[in-house]
Amino acid sequence: MTQKPEPMNEETKSAAENYAVIMRDVHKWYGKFHVLKNINLNVGVGEKIVVCGPSGSGKSTLIRCINRLEEHQQGEIIVEGIELSHDIKNIESIRREVGMVFQHFNLFPHLTVLENCTLAPIWVRKMPLAEANAVAMKYLERVKIPEQANKYPGQLSGGQQQRVAIARSLCMKPRILLFDEPTSALDPEMIKEVLDVMIQLASEGITMICVTHEMGFARTVGDRVIFMDNGEIIEENNPDDFFLNPQHERTKLFLSQILDH
Amino acid sequence: MGNTVVLHKGGGKNLILSLNSRRFVLLKKIAGMRATKFLAIIAVLFSFTVVAGAGTLEDVKARGKLNCIISSGLAGFASPDGKGGWQGFDVDFCRAVAAAVLGSGDKVNFVPSTNRTRFAQLNAGEGDILFRNTTETLSRDADLKLTFLPINYYDGQGFLVPRDLGVTSATQLAGASVCVQVGTTTELNLADYFRFNKMDYEHLNTGTNAESIIMYESKRCNVYTTDASALASTRAALKKPSDHVILPEIISKEPLGGAVRHGDDRWADIGKWVVNALIIAEEMGITQKNVKELAKKPGNNPSMNRFLGTEGSMGEMLGLDKDWAVNAVSAVGNYGEIFERHLGFNTPLALPRGLNASWKSGGLLYAAPIR
Amino acid sequence: MDWLFLDAAFTGGSRDECSAKAGGACWAVIGERLNLFTYGFYPAAERWRVNLSFVLLIFTLIPILFEKVPYRKYALHIAVAFPFVTAWLLVGGLGLTPVETDQFGGFMLTLVIGITGIGFSLPIGILLALGRQSRLRAIQIFSIGFIEFIRGVPLITLLFVASTMLNYFLPPGVTFDLLLRVLIMVTLFASAYMAEVIRGGLQAIPKGQFEAADSMGLHYWSAMRLIVLPQAMKISIPGIVNTFIGLYKDTTLVIIIGLLDPLGIGRASLADTRWTGLSTEVYLFVAIFFFISCFGMARYSQHLENKLETEHKR
Repeated sequence: MTQKPEPMNEETKSAAENYAVIMRDVHKWYGKFHVLKNINLNVGVGEKIVVCGPSGSGKSTLIRCINRLEEHQQGEIIVEGIELSHDIKNIESIRREVGMVFQHFNLFPHLTVLENCTLAPIWVRKMPLAEANAVAMKYLERVKIPEQANKYPGQLSGGQQQRVAIARSLCMKPRILLFDEPTSALDPEMIKEVLDVMIQLASEGITMICVTHEMGFARTVGDRVIFMDNGEIIEENNPDDFFLNPQHERTKLFLSQILDH
Repeated sequence: MGNTVVLHKGGGKNLILSLNSRRFVLLKKIAGMRATKFLAIIAVLFSFTVVAGAGTLEDVKARGKLNCIISSGLAGFASPDGKGGWQGFDVDFCRAVAAAVLGSGDKVNFVPSTNRTRFAQLNAGEGDILFRNTTETLSRDADLKLTFLPINYYDGQGFLVPRDLGVTSATQLAGASVCVQVGTTTELNLADYFRFNKMDYEHLNTGTNAESIIMYESKRCNVYTTDASALASTRAALKKPSDHVILPEIISKEPLGGAVRHGDDRWADIGKWVVNALIIAEEMGITQKNVKELAKKPGNNPSMNRFLGTEGSMGEMLGLDKDWAVNAVSAVGNYGEIFERHLGFNTPLALPRGLNASWKSGGLLYAAPIR
Repeated sequence: MDWLFLDAAFTGGSRDECSAKAGGACWAVIGERLNLFTYGFYPAAERWRVNLSFVLLIFTLIPILFEKVPYRKYALHIAVAFPFVTAWLLVGGLGLTPVETDQFGGFMLTLVIGITGIGFSLPIGILLALGRQSRLRAIQIFSIGFIEFIRGVPLITLLFVASTMLNYFLPPGVTFDLLLRVLIMVTLFASAYMAEVIRGGLQAIPKGQFEAADSMGLHYWSAMRLIVLPQAMKISIPGIVNTFIGLYKDTTLVIIIGLLDPLGIGRASLADTRWTGLSTEVYLFVAIFFFISCFGMARYSQHLENKLETEHKR
């Protein structure tokens, strides 16, 4: 199914300079299941995008295509000016620039919080240990848990773990941060501490793409909200218009379902 | 089977490729049923087997040591002493061959082997010669491609009974309960013997020698039957050996002898005549003590002189030094001395010479003459 | 108890002398043969080399096994040289008198085979386990084929092949050291089992761990080394140690090919007519040796498991 990527034309090249992520005519199948259908999405540098939609709509798959945790089969994805291809070198260099925060944190349980944060800088960026430790402490302070640095993830609460996960991503100094439902595995009382950190981050100019249903967050920091259903982008709009004045029937239905309770 | 193709000659060494599927049969027994499939593959892979041939004597001389396959532990026949050497009846035959070929009984590498691996080890060239209380049979001779040396121990199935049973002959064993290892020729011989003598008996099957001893000691059976040499070591291991007797009857033939690989007649001759020499030495009264003296002052007994190498060219014919037999005897003594040292009445085994006496004393030892 | 110590005879030249002295156990057989049990047929004049190797072994193991050792980092680097130095010490050459490996025996043989097997089967097992999950078809097929072949064949058969069959392959005159063949076979055998144990550990690692590692831009080997394997190994510790202990005890099978490990020495000693009938003493002695080694390994594995337990320390 894989198409040979076409050489980048002039238009694409100039566009790549303005956009952090460009997705053009992207399709993906899981076997026969068409999970992404003709996705076209440009994400500007520094833009905050919120992706929402019912479960199974392909929103997680969409962002996982950006750092190639999932492979798309058609179309092109250009991240920070690099087109995603099978070249593992390409993929690794994109992943260095793209941080990801997972629903289930995915911290490394055998390493301390500090080691979780310094691992990638040391091994991928080849940063000296002392510097990596300093950077990690800086970000752990930013997410307000420097005192936990020498504990193991298993000793922390869910909210703390997710904040560590955010700090871990930040330690690589990524240009783009992907959030894959970062709060949906958390107990309600812990959601706020994570969202607070995310809101603070948003104010610092990093490009963010968040899959989340947190409407408050979307309205506070989102530049654009994208609604997906059945693998398609149904609607995209600024948050205020999206929530107050949805255009599409499916959007309305979805919003009524999540806002009603 | 048995097609022999000489591939290449040179340096006194032939590569003999022999089509051999029989080894597979042996291996199958060795590895048990689970490995049958695997061995089938191996057998195909190895159906062309390479054996060193025709040059064993040269190999041994070049190496300066004789590789001799022995048992990894059998009372009286081979066992390590406390100092890292080996002792025993079979071990002394190894030393005798080494002394005849290399001039010293110490120039031996002992290669311990188990019942299962001995022939494969010999055929694979891990040893030059095998002395491991091995019974000579037709199938081993022909099928496993061994050449047997003269019989150096006449073993046979016997009976061990407690002294207080008051039995002095196996013919008095009617109604006895007998421990016997299951699936052995021993079991069949036992049945034959009692049927022939029209006696009833009750047999208790055991899996191993060790199990038999336990059964016998706990008086579950009052007779234990296996080869006489094994009975002797079993008896020696009992709490009070003198409370038990081995009955005089031997009911089967177990002729034990050394062996070499098929295909190297000169080497087989050497093994054969070393064994003969040890037997003849006893006949002639040549002992470890007097052999050097005798060799220095040759008398006018021609057969003695041929033995001592002072007359004729016997050693030369074998490809050895003229004092080959002298060296062998001075290393380990004559047959009688070897027997007494390891198996005789001064050892815990206390085996009588019996069939293993010289023909002159009513035994079966009757070596062809050196002339 | 009385039999073991109070009524036991500790000196004597034969079983008869023992029983003349006391009615209990006759430990004199062990005393007389302690060197045989320890060194096998290793030449007496060269035994210092075995002793030295043993001391080196201890000095190598301490920093490997325990964390709180001064200069551990340097010690670990030096430890890499251990196999080579020991091999040179034991086999000789380069200034030392060569010792034929068929003279190895007793506890020393067990340790040589056991430690070589343990030391090499772990890395080979890891590679096989990873190979089995590889996306490269050729590597995967090779790994699966290898593992299934080795697991499908009894060790005794492999040893037998090692001892005799290989000689058929090689032209006469070309010899391939018997002990080396055994070491290779034992290592390969343990590797196959190790691979499966580690594969179990790998499968227990949640997918998220791989994704997290990937998303950071770690290479395959870095991700494996830093993230996946440490966790997989931790999960697999009981299985790994189990395999180690199994391998260690399987070293007694070398008797089938005529190498005499302590058990073989014991059996052979019982064939000495002076000591015949003392099987209880001899087997007990050998059993104690194996028990101490294996129990030690088991205890260490528990210690390691506790140390690595980070999961629920709240």
